[in-house]
Amino acid sequence: MSSYKHLIVAALSLGAISVFTPLAAQCAAVPDSVTLNQNGTLYKPFAFNHAKHIQQLKECAGCHHHTTGTLVLDPECARCHQNSSPTAVVSCKGCHSAKPFSPETLAEKHADKQRYHKDKMGLKGAMHQSCIGCHQKEGAGPVGCQECHPRTEAGEAFNSSSRLGAKPAHAKKH
Amino acid sequence: MKRRNFLKACLIGGTTIAMGKTNKGWASGSFEGYPESMGVLVDTTRCIGCRSCEAACNKEQKLPEPDTSFDDKSVFEEPRRPTAKAYTVVNQYEKEKPGGPVYRKVQCNHCNEPACLTSCFVNAYTKTKEGAVIYNSKVCVGCRNCMIACPFNVPGYDYESVTNPVIKKCILCYDTRLKVGKPPACVDICPQEALTFGHRADLIKIAHERIRSNPDRYLDHVYGEKEVGGTSWLYLSGTEFDKIGFDPSLSNDPIISNVKDFLGMVPMVLSIWPALFSGIHLLSKHDSGGEGHDTESKEEEP
Amino acid sequence: MKNMIKHGLAVVDSPYDESGKKRTVVQKLLLGLTPSQYLLQAFRNPFNWILAAIFAVGIPILLGRFVFGLAWATSGSNDYPWGLFLGFGLFAMVPLSSSGFQLGTACEIFGRHDLEPIERLALLNGLLGYFFAVVYLLADLGQPWRLPYPMVVSFGPAAVLFLVAWHVATYLSVQVAEVSTAFFEWIGFPAGKRGVRRITLGLTVSGIILSTLHQGALGALFTYAPGKVHPLWYSSSFQWLHFFVSSLPGGLCMVITVSTIASKFMGWRTDRRFKEALDRCTVTLAKGACMGIATYITIKLIGIAHDNKWSYLDSGWGQWFMLEIIVGFMLPLVLMTYGVHTRKMGVIRLGAFATVFGVVLNRVNTAIITFNWKLPEREIPPWREVVISLTIFAIYIVVYRFILYRLPILYKWRQQEEEVTVTEAVTAPAAGRREASPVAVASYSKMTKLD
Repeated sequence: MSSYKHLIVAALSLGAISVFTPLAAQCAAVPDSVTLNQNGTLYKPFAFNHAKHIQQLKECAGCHHHTTGTLVLDPECARCHQNSSPTAVVSCKGCHSAKPFSPETLAEKHADKQRYHKDKMGLKGAMHQSCIGCHQKEGAGPVGCQECHPRTEAGEAFNSSSRLGAKPAHAKKH
Repeated sequence: MKRRNFLKACLIGGTTIAMGKTNKGWASGSFEGYPESMGVLVDTTRCIGCRSCEAACNKEQKLPEPDTSFDDKSVFEEPRRPTAKAYTVVNQYEKEKPGGPVYRKVQCNHCNEPACLTSCFVNAYTKTKEGAVIYNSKVCVGCRNCMIACPFNVPGYDYESVTNPVIKKCILCYDTRLKVGKPPACVDICPQEALTFGHRADLIKIAHERIRSNPDRYLDHVYGEKEVGGTSWLYLSGTEFDKIGFDPSLSNDPIISNVKDFLGMVPMVLSIWPALFSGIHLLSKHDSGGEGHDTESKEEEP
Repeated sequence: MKNMIKHGLAVVDSPYDESGKKRTVVQKLLLGLTPSQYLLQAFRNPFNWILAAIFAVGIPILLGRFVFGLAWATSGSNDYPWGLFLGFGLFAMVPLSSSGFQLGTACEIFGRHDLEPIERLALLNGLLGYFFAVVYLLADLGQPWRLPYPMVVSFGPAAVLFLVAWHVATYLSVQVAEVSTAFFEWIGFPAGKRGVRRITLGLTVSGIILSTLHQGALGALFTYAPGKVHPLWYSSSFQWLHFFVSSLPGGLCMVITVSTIASKFMGWRTDRRFKEALDRCTVTLAKGACMGIATYITIKLIGIAHDNKWSYLDSGWGQWFMLEIIVGFMLPLVLMTYGVHTRKMGVIRLGAFATVFGVVLNRVNTAIITFNWKLPEREIPPWREVVISLTIFAIYIVVYRFILYRLPILYKWRQQEEEVTVTEAVTAPAAGRREASPVAVASYSKMTKLD
């Protein structure tokens, strides 16, 4: 598995990669910043500071579980993947489908009775759980929606934000 | 011409029996749900209480604007229930617990054998093969028996409407999404994937697999797998279910099984009563006078 | 009215007035008074003023319910979907109306002709009770104009409510037919009366079937909500029996209650036959009611023992339950048993009032007070809901009184038309009706006898 191929896949899958900086860790070029939520309609796209996270976390596998960095930490995964090599795909999007519940995905999952990993998270879930989960655990970093991605106008309308401060329903109860 | 009288009584009895047969109709047998039924697995340990699902439901079902913004966290002060204006609500529990608050989304659980369906006297409800419990509001009379019957207190009534008040509840986005295989709007929007959409049979396996691989995170129970005969919505929790608004006292039998004692009695009354009472009448006719004894008491023996 | 009779007014109790002229319908409606006399007696009655006060407030609010909707008029609660209109109006009125089928059965099936003086009152009580239960239902339904839907548009035959709807509708028509004999006498249409008398047995038997089923079905409606009704008021095996059996004393005691009120405030309208028979009939009714109450208490205890719910008695709900059982059922049982043995009519009547109270309390408890007992909040009906309930009940009283004043319910219509008796005598043997419905003919010819 060449690191070059690695890089290409990472680059393609993450979408817009602003800067390439060679880094010692995996002898591969990793992005310093990644623009996430590119096709968001309710929330605006935003830049994810990859470099800062690398600095603070040191361990790639903290996020990129079993794809790069230290391999297989989770004892549950280690039952089978003790000796598995890093996968070709590093980016979240490469594995975690953006449409985990589309009819096609579901039909495929349902048809494959022997499939083991039936419960693979979708991209959105994986990202949010990874970020918010870690921020909560570490007691640092944003956990609120708009702390990462500000809303678009459509998003404001969607959440009926203009009604903020109006009397909540339960206050009106007789 | 006692015979004529007797025949008359039999005729009346007979016609009512015919009616009674239909009354009994589908009241027996147990139904495990459609094999291809879809469902949603709710992982309450993942929910962060963002209320996006409430917003998505509001827009998808074209419900009236909410009283307050979906950003308003003050709604968590009191537990809420689904209403005609909000088919789903998120409630907050266990605020003081070290693990932080636990959130739980409430909506129709789409039972395999829905109590609302079996209690509806105009048969407005349908359990579709996709698993959704939908209803035809064009025939809803507004008796609100389904609200009495629902073990989860889900259906809301549109009391404010004067000309066309009807029952309203979550339909699993049947018309706009489920019918074409798409997940309901709340599942689509959930950032945490606290909601997992899929075939109900698969979801049960997934749920148990999550419990197996994270025994510390979850209680060993999938709520909705067996409750009231099984529901399309299933729940995992790390906190005792009764602490996050679930009714742990619900039996695994569908609600209709409580009613079967009565429904079973109906054809008996319809067939035995006419003969019994016509007979008593014929007997008492010769019993000249018929005074002194207490005939009333006979009526109490069913 | 009493005063006017004292002053020589003749009560309308036959098709002809004193001078032998046939009375017109208007005369009959005005109770043989001139319009001004009629108004005068109406104004003199203090009870009418109370009614007028209720209607002045209540009628606009009742109409308002249909203009502004349920949310305006009722609590509009999702947790307590059945408020006073159904909890009191439907669930309490129906058991109190079981008198119709019971007295019908006693007179027509068991041949207890000694109860006939009170049979018509019992039938009317049944009819009006059901009718106003339906009126309450119409006020409560979101879309009352869709009430016929379960009959014609969309059928939900697996539902208990479907059975209730069909049976109450059928039974209402049966009761209209049963009571119509009195109307036919009054309006002067003997053919109609004869027609109805001919099918009396069929009507009565179908009345028993329909009543057994829908009285029980009202109870079975709550078996849909096993966790919501408090366990002391709930029993999945016996719920329908509890409702059916308690409806029996409920109906009988309602007749005792109404006949007591009628003989007290409408003495002028009752005839000698009714007055003489009243105490005897009351005793018989009380006996029947005692049997019913005893059976009810027994199966109620069996219900608690069956599901081992004794521990619930030791709670606030348990005390409330004991109050209902003791004041509403055990006390009247003791009172009426004592009253029957010592022939103390006052005691019997007191017992009957307590029973009516007990049955109403039981229904209100099941449908509203103990419903959803696990929820933190109890629902207190808002004032408009109370006013509407009260108004409909006042209308019920007015209609009840209107009919009792006029139709031969508490008195016998003195039929002086010779020809009727003649036709009767001729047609009866010819059509073999004497044997076909001996009860009918016997009682009818008795009735047509000149006093």
